[in-house]
Amino acid sequence: MATREPETGWHGENSDVNHLRGRAFEATCLAATAFGLVSVMLLLLFVANDAFRPFSADAGWLATYAATVVVPLAALAVYYYRLDEPAGEVAYVTSGLPVVGLLLTGGFAVLFIELLSVLEWFALLISLVVAGGLIVAHGRLRPKAALERLGVVFLSPVITVFGLPPTRFNWFVTDAAAALGLDFGLYYRVISLREAIMLLPFVPTDWAMLLLTLVLPVAGAAGWFVKQRRESRRDGLAVVGMTTAVAVLGVVAGPLLGIGTDVWLLIVTFAVLPLGVYVEGVIRRGEGVCGLAFPVVAVLGVVVGGVVTGALGFAGPDPWLDWGFLTSATSRTAADAGIYPAMVGSVMMIIVIVLTTFPVGVGAAIYLEEYAPSQGLMGKFVTLIEINIGNLAGVPSVVYGLLGLALFIRVLQWPQGSIIVAGLAVGLLILPIVIISAQEAIRSVPDSFRQASYGMGATRWQTIRQVVLPEALPGILTGTILALGRAIGETAPLLMIGAAASVRLAPNSFFDVASMMPRQIFSWSSELDPSFRHGVLAAGVITLLAVLLVMNATAIVIRNRYQRTG
Amino acid sequence: MTENEMTSNDSTEPTPTTETAASSPDPSGDPLIEQSIDVEGTGDTAGETGEPVIESRDLNVFYGETQALQGIDLAIPEKQVTAMIGPSGCGKSTFLRCINRMNDLIDAARVEGDLYFEGKNVYDADVDPVALRRRIGMVFQHPNPFPKSIYDNVAYGLRIQDQTEDIDEKVETALKRAALWDEVKDQLDKSALDLSGGQQQRLCIARAIAVDPDVILMDEPASALDPIATSKIEDLIEELAEEFTVVIVTHNMQQAARISDKTAVFLTGGELVEFDDTDKIFENPESQRVEDYITGKFG
Repeated sequence: MATREPETGWHGENSDVNHLRGRAFEATCLAATAFGLVSVMLLLLFVANDAFRPFSADAGWLATYAATVVVPLAALAVYYYRLDEPAGEVAYVTSGLPVVGLLLTGGFAVLFIELLSVLEWFALLISLVVAGGLIVAHGRLRPKAALERLGVVFLSPVITVFGLPPTRFNWFVTDAAAALGLDFGLYYRVISLREAIMLLPFVPTDWAMLLLTLVLPVAGAAGWFVKQRRESRRDGLAVVGMTTAVAVLGVVAGPLLGIGTDVWLLIVTFAVLPLGVYVEGVIRRGEGVCGLAFPVVAVLGVVVGGVVTGALGFAGPDPWLDWGFLTSATSRTAADAGIYPAMVGSVMMIIVIVLTTFPVGVGAAIYLEEYAPSQGLMGKFVTLIEINIGNLAGVPSVVYGLLGLALFIRVLQWPQGSIIVAGLAVGLLILPIVIISAQEAIRSVPDSFRQASYGMGATRWQTIRQVVLPEALPGILTGTILALGRAIGETAPLLMIGAAASVRLAPNSFFDVASMMPRQIFSWSSELDPSFRHGVLAAGVITLLAVLLVMNATAIVIRNRYQRTG
Repeated sequence: MTENEMTSNDSTEPTPTTETAASSPDPSGDPLIEQSIDVEGTGDTAGETGEPVIESRDLNVFYGETQALQGIDLAIPEKQVTAMIGPSGCGKSTFLRCINRMNDLIDAARVEGDLYFEGKNVYDADVDPVALRRRIGMVFQHPNPFPKSIYDNVAYGLRIQDQTEDIDEKVETALKRAALWDEVKDQLDKSALDLSGGQQQRLCIARAIAVDPDVILMDEPASALDPIATSKIEDLIEELAEEFTVVIVTHNMQQAARISDKTAVFLTGGELVEFDDTDKIFENPESQRVEDYITGKFG
């Protein structure tokens, strides 16, 4: 048992090991990081204060809401964190799902108000479904004819959506049709299925079309998911049935409550359905049921707070960022100014970017990772290209603006400051980022999967399509969403291509001149009236940041799911 | 013809024979079989075995500047287990990957010489490596099931080869032949990554045999597994040899001795030193170097 007595004290007692330099380095790094973070946080606090002006409210109002909303929610949060972590996750999801669902609802509502009518949407979707059906049917009937299949894949959407351009053959057909009394009003071209649907003398009502093209497919997907998850056909059918019932009920009852039928259907699809499926799952599993209290408490708190402040006559704050700001156009008076047209412009720009940059960027990444040679002269060329993609990611955004100006406006003569030009210019800006992040995602797919697939006699295309892309997709999506976050905040290219400083009406075509959120914010910053520079500007910044936050949160959620399964 | 024969005899000299092999239209079916009988007659392989299904002639492989295989001449008989043993870096895996042209996937790899599969040189210009790999299945060192369900893993080969009839039945048969059916029949929808290492490797074997290939190549299939899983794989390999030609690369000499009918010994530098019946290699090898290697004096 006797331990040996140290002769000269314990090792290191006279500190012959020098830790000073390491400690100093650590402290410097920490200080620099903290300085950066704290200064940004302070700025954001200032901006948020300007946007919401919480201190313009009565102290009683603040105290009431603190008591009814903040304190109970904080208490619940602490409880979940300490004692019931699964409930915490349930609380998090049940609060987040409606927010995301309502955002999606808002997005689709804007889509139907500004961009295309429900009828156009219906016709477009039906045509695409028919095109898809043709492709699948061809695959079933003639599985071997690869070249023919390529033709079908390209032609069927073109024919169903766009129709055929005028040719001599079509003159004959339309003349013959006209002679027979079938007058479509479109001479010398074969009209597409989409146009034919729009020319129909009887069309279903808007809500019926939405029910068919939006509610039922989403409900069907959810039902299928539930069926797979629980291996119960009945549960899946129940999901579809209940969703349809709630949707139809809302259509009948909605006008009484003052909710438009279209909006109701959108809410059912994007908010009620996912929330319902999730909540039902939580209750059935019986794990973390307490978490459901969180959103209930939040809603109750707001209602109670509203009643109390109304009864006691406490005045609320007068924020710059309110419903009016989000739904109205900018104005000469700061109090009436809003960001709605710029928001629509930003969303439409994002649509252009997603439709162009995502396929090009992912395609380039697939080529560089899976096809491009790594040896010989071509290999050197590919390396050169990869290095230059890295460099392009660092080219200043104003230069991309110049490229957009030269290429799309001067050469292609597209309207200056239009959404399509803005989207393409900013899309070029984020293209290198999309390529690089997609390359990373593809590279992270273990090579053993590719080996296994090739060893089975799969072609390169089969391997990419069935093994590599499914594995890489979450990573690709994460990177793309982060890049889109960068795109939505870019200002310099918008200035270069002449995006409008501010517009009164939301754009309703991709060739309309529009303003985007950062451009609008920039023009507010040079207004003479200080309430623009402080209040309205801050409200715009907060809106932009909120959109960014939602996008980044989505990216993080996708990444986490991916890490959990992978 | 004669030129080929000559180069195949002095195998140590790596002459660039691809030019002749690619340009001369000679490697058609009949004369090749004739020639392979010649090779057997010279006593390179033992007489009692079946027809050689895979045969290499003066096969050289380079990775960039390094030569990984030096003039390999080898005839692998049908429906038997042929083992390849040798120290690390001796080129045995490289040889295996030449058979189904997996080396094509490595840009730096360059193959010279001929490799005949059922009488056809697989390095001919008109051979599609994809079609070749559909007849020569492969099992890798580390179990590498796809991150899909067990069922989808086994069905993968059937689906990519457009064999869409009776998939359920074929999946069941393959899993039974791989001795995995009883363990997974109730959880075919579960992810293959949830299986144990040994089960994953048997799943990979099931995946390879589901498409009913002629040959199965195995690259150290048991080296990442524990002894019990290893013995299951070994039993399985012996059973598979009744229907398939099995070529297995292994580090483990006891394993080669236990399961193989023929053994090829590769030694450092990518040379094939000796190829003969397994009993002969392990009991009475002709080369002193092989004896040293087998008795553990080096390697």
